[in-house]
Amino acid sequence: MSEPPGVVCRECPDRVFANVRGDSGDLRLRRAVAQVAGLDLPREPGTWNRADRSRAYWLGPDEWLLVVEGDDGLALEERLRDALDGPFSVADVTGAQVQLELSGPDAGKVLQKSSPYDFHPRKFPPGRCAQTVFSKTTALVAAREDGAFDVVFRRSYADYLMRWLADAAAEYGYRLE
Amino acid sequence: MGGEVRRLAAGGRIDRDQALDFVFNGRALRGFAGDTLASALLANGVDVVGRSFKYGRPRGIVGHGPEEPNAIVEVGTGASRVPNLRATQVELYNGLEARSAGSSVFQRAAGAFGRLLPAGFYYKTFMSSPRAWMAWERVLRHAAGFGNAPDAADPDTYDRMNRHCDVLVIGGGPAGLSAALEAAGWGARVLLADEQSEFGGSLLAETRALGGESAAAWLAGVLAELDASGNVELLPRSMVSGYYDHNFLTIVERRSDHLGPVSAAATRERLHRVRAEQVVLATGAIERPLVFANNDLPGVMLASSVSTYVNRYAVAPGNKLLLFTTNDHGYRTALDWHRIGREVVAIVDVREDPAGAWVESAKASGIDVIGAHAIIEAVGHSRVSGAAIAPLQGNTLVGAPRRLACDLIACSGGWNPTLHLGSQTGVKPRWSESAIAFLPGDLGVGTLCAGAVAGTPALRGCLEQGALAGATAASRAGFGSGRTTRAAPEVDEPPEMPARSLFLVPHPKPVSRAPKQFVDFQLDVTAADIELAAREGYESVEHVKRYTALGFGTDQGKLGNVNGVAILAEALGKDMAEVGTTMYRPSYTPTTFGAIAGRDVGGFFDPERHTPMHGWHTAEGAEWEDVGRWKRPWYYPRPGETMQQAVNRECLAARDGLAIMDASTLGKIDIQGADAAEFLDRIYTTGFRKLGIGRCRYGLMLHEDGTIFDDGVTARLGEDRYLMHTTTGNAEVVFAWLERWHQTEWPELSVYFTSVTDHWATAALVGPKSRTVLAKVCTDIDLTGGAFPFMAVREGHVAGVPARVFRISFSGELSFEVNVPAQHGRAVWDALIDAGAEFDITPYGTETMHVLRAEKGFIIVGQDTDGSTTPADMGMDWAVRRNKPFGFLGDRSLDLSDHLREDRPQLVGLASYDAKTVLPEGGQLVDDPERQPPAPIAGHVTSSYYSARLSRPIALGMVKRGAGRMGETVYCPLADGRVVKASIVDSVFYDPKGERQNV
Amino acid sequence: MFRIHCPHCQEVRSEEEFSYAGEAHIPRPADPSSLSDAEWGEYLHTRTNPRGPHREMWVHTAGCRRYFNVLRDTVSYEILAVYRVGEMPPERGEA
Repeated sequence: MSEPPGVVCRECPDRVFANVRGDSGDLRLRRAVAQVAGLDLPREPGTWNRADRSRAYWLGPDEWLLVVEGDDGLALEERLRDALDGPFSVADVTGAQVQLELSGPDAGKVLQKSSPYDFHPRKFPPGRCAQTVFSKTTALVAAREDGAFDVVFRRSYADYLMRWLADAAAEYGYRLE
Repeated sequence: MGGEVRRLAAGGRIDRDQALDFVFNGRALRGFAGDTLASALLANGVDVVGRSFKYGRPRGIVGHGPEEPNAIVEVGTGASRVPNLRATQVELYNGLEARSAGSSVFQRAAGAFGRLLPAGFYYKTFMSSPRAWMAWERVLRHAAGFGNAPDAADPDTYDRMNRHCDVLVIGGGPAGLSAALEAAGWGARVLLADEQSEFGGSLLAETRALGGESAAAWLAGVLAELDASGNVELLPRSMVSGYYDHNFLTIVERRSDHLGPVSAAATRERLHRVRAEQVVLATGAIERPLVFANNDLPGVMLASSVSTYVNRYAVAPGNKLLLFTTNDHGYRTALDWHRIGREVVAIVDVREDPAGAWVESAKASGIDVIGAHAIIEAVGHSRVSGAAIAPLQGNTLVGAPRRLACDLIACSGGWNPTLHLGSQTGVKPRWSESAIAFLPGDLGVGTLCAGAVAGTPALRGCLEQGALAGATAASRAGFGSGRTTRAAPEVDEPPEMPARSLFLVPHPKPVSRAPKQFVDFQLDVTAADIELAAREGYESVEHVKRYTALGFGTDQGKLGNVNGVAILAEALGKDMAEVGTTMYRPSYTPTTFGAIAGRDVGGFFDPERHTPMHGWHTAEGAEWEDVGRWKRPWYYPRPGETMQQAVNRECLAARDGLAIMDASTLGKIDIQGADAAEFLDRIYTTGFRKLGIGRCRYGLMLHEDGTIFDDGVTARLGEDRYLMHTTTGNAEVVFAWLERWHQTEWPELSVYFTSVTDHWATAALVGPKSRTVLAKVCTDIDLTGGAFPFMAVREGHVAGVPARVFRISFSGELSFEVNVPAQHGRAVWDALIDAGAEFDITPYGTETMHVLRAEKGFIIVGQDTDGSTTPADMGMDWAVRRNKPFGFLGDRSLDLSDHLREDRPQLVGLASYDAKTVLPEGGQLVDDPERQPPAPIAGHVTSSYYSARLSRPIALGMVKRGAGRMGETVYCPLADGRVVKASIVDSVFYDPKGERQNV
Repeated sequence: MFRIHCPHCQEVRSEEEFSYAGEAHIPRPADPSSLSDAEWGEYLHTRTNPRGPHREMWVHTAGCRRYFNVLRDTVSYEILAVYRVGEMPPERGEA
């Protein structure tokens, strides 16, 4: 098939994930994360920030997912714990997560088949993220500047969701990288 | 057969260059692209398309859309056969095969049989004598329904898609198109859905000009504009099937039916799940038939349908037309008929003195207009050959009937707005005397109605009203001022004079003796049936519906309902508003199971969760048990082994040597914060404040009513950090439970929870050899009993990977539960298997886990407990600390008088006397085996297994006052008549002092 | 299918993302041990079950996992207000 696929799915290995919880108004928390991951925790609901190798996704009013490329999960947790001083929680959840990048002109249609959330660019421009129902489980979806989507879901659902995505995208042409 | 005998030489929207061959009831026929099955059948002169349900009378095509009651067909063959389709909605394709539905022997023979089935037949026959149902059921089940379900799996695929829009416009006719144009013009995201293959609605059969151009040209222009606008999505072939709460709607899109019988490459149907800020109902109206004697003869049609077949499909479904009307709108059909050069026998107008532009126009064309008359009876055998007409004054016949020869009767009894979707939201339609119609009720601020559905008769009015609705909807959704931005096109449309109402045409004989006057064609409900129901005391329209079956067909009474209501109202001496309509429910037209199921079939029906070691288990040939959504190894049979043999082997390995289990599915929650201990104290029955760092404690979680809902071991990892284990099936419930209490009752406690279930892979290394083997791959933890005691946790490395090792045991044996981040789970598992090879390491599954724990009397919450079980019932007071400062959830309920009752069921062990019979789980226990049922129940068996270690069966059960009945005998009657005798024993069968795990 | 505004995500989301969590404003008694069986039973089991506006708790299960309160009409299913835990429903007129 010479035609470019409508949906391209790329697995993103080499990422570590930390779940961070605390009062979003607490400067100590923000400074600690800035020091360790080089970015500000997003305070606006449903948004995400990125720095060179890190991203921080808003999960709830006191909860974020921190994603860092090319790090060690336990070491990241330790560095954060060392930098944090106060009523905060940090847990390495690298083992719990799988991250994909969905791109291609029909990536949005695959999301529409999978989730009741409104991914239209008017409502979900780059910089937005949402935890939502995804097929019969849940996922975190984030809109990127390049028009692609980051999708993060639980590892135990990986086999199921990879089959689901391939099936949902089949009619548009699907490539897994 | 003469081919397309009724096809006009020119005109229509069909593509005459694309002839299509099809087969109907075994006859090879031909039509054109653009035809429906109905228009092609009419073109071929097929008059009779089915037999009536109850009386076996011949029936022909009446309508041209979803209202069609008679032309119900089955399309396709074998697995892809689709029953219950309306021929008026089936797009023709080359090779289409269709059959009339319901052509059972019963229905063909039903002519004589029908009089055995009066109104209320089911009720009268089966309420008085339920036994009659036994005799009748087979016959009736066979006769009921319209077609046969395929008996092979559906080869097609279906799916679902979620959609969001600012404005959903339902119906692509003049009002809907105008609404979409305006809403899109203001920048709103618009979704326009129409059930037909082409947008346009009534414009597809319109002969007048719009704004100086043909209707077709205007339509093409509008569609091009919508297509180019960028914020409009057009969904043709899309039936809005349901209108639910909060502007959630479902749309069934037919994606491949028009292409052929099976289209494996594409999705056959797609269910769109739409969430709309605003909804514009532009669903139009369906013409109301007239109820007169023998009005079900083939050749009696709706006037608008005759016009549609003529103008859109270039089919003249007859030669000599007699028009029967109550209004000016119907005159169009006579004029259309005249325009194609066919004979209009006459216009029979029930109005006293028909006058006005339309009447003049007909007369100017030389058409005979007979005012103050009605068609009282259609004449003919399998097709209309004439009609009896009689003078009418009010609702009374005032003269002798005379006969007119004709072969087609077009009826216009006014219009029924297509208000079904509005009605689905629960808003009752309201009767309008001026519109002579039920109109949608007050649908609220999220819904607008425009065009014929709102009772607007004229085309120009529909265009204007649609535009205004579109602008208003956009404005309510936050786009624009609500003003329309463009003028509706001018339409050369003479004004209409008032219509009159006529719901039942009188006959010289009384209704009960006149030839049948059909109200509901599909279920053969006549005017006499409705009057009978009224005479027998039925007053509510909903009761009459169920008694007579009016509106109970797959068409939900789209044609018959309003006439039926009017006849009922007349019989009851009430007005229309008082009687009201029946409730319309989703789906608007029948929906396939495939569309509802979507992709949730086969492997997608229920998601599977896999642990990191899933591939290893698969390669080892594990049999699976589903626990929640997890796939867990059940047991690992070796070649030739039975399940029992495999489980026996696995159990003995764990007890005597070395075994390993994948325990990754256990729920795990990371709990951090200065108040974590206080929080756990409130959640669990046990205390956590004084638990040392690196130590573990078992706890019970209770509902506020004192019943057990989860249990597990929680470890203290640091000063302010704990790791909670939950049961596999309850992980998410417990996580939400913790959040709920923290967020809603105790926000002042500084504590945070993170689910880490998926983060950790867990291998439970079990058996006397487990310490020796773990030591081979774990060198930085002192594994000796003194340094690493039972109920402790240590951090270190296993197989080079950072690990947490717990000395906890659900088997009663020496056991190390090795936890590593899931990405390393498989590698560490493999390393443990390698290290254990010298001791013949044996993987075991959930069945062996159950046997091992039952031997130890360890309970499984949800198996040994139910929703009424307290800790005391389980003999677990040792796990409850009543003196904590705050208490704990459920604490107070433990003192409720009912929970202190002495005759509560209590956990016991059960040993069958013969030491051979495994009691059935769920088996009821009685004290007196001789007593005939219903015998008082002493208790029941909750867990039961064969114990290889003890060489006999063991069981746990709940027995009333069981704790005080040690040594007594109970009996378990089996379904096959045997009775198993068992003695009540202690619930711990093996190593009662717990010495084996504590070494 | 409801559409519910989550006061934490500050967006309207679809019902699939939420779970119902019972009637709202039923505080846990401060000292359960001081209550009679009947009083404690009242807290455990008695609910208002009104026809009309009902104060209820929902949780954004698939989203931010926050509990919050909803004032919902049990006849029309209209959601009249959404407010956070610890807050009271806005005063309503007779409308």
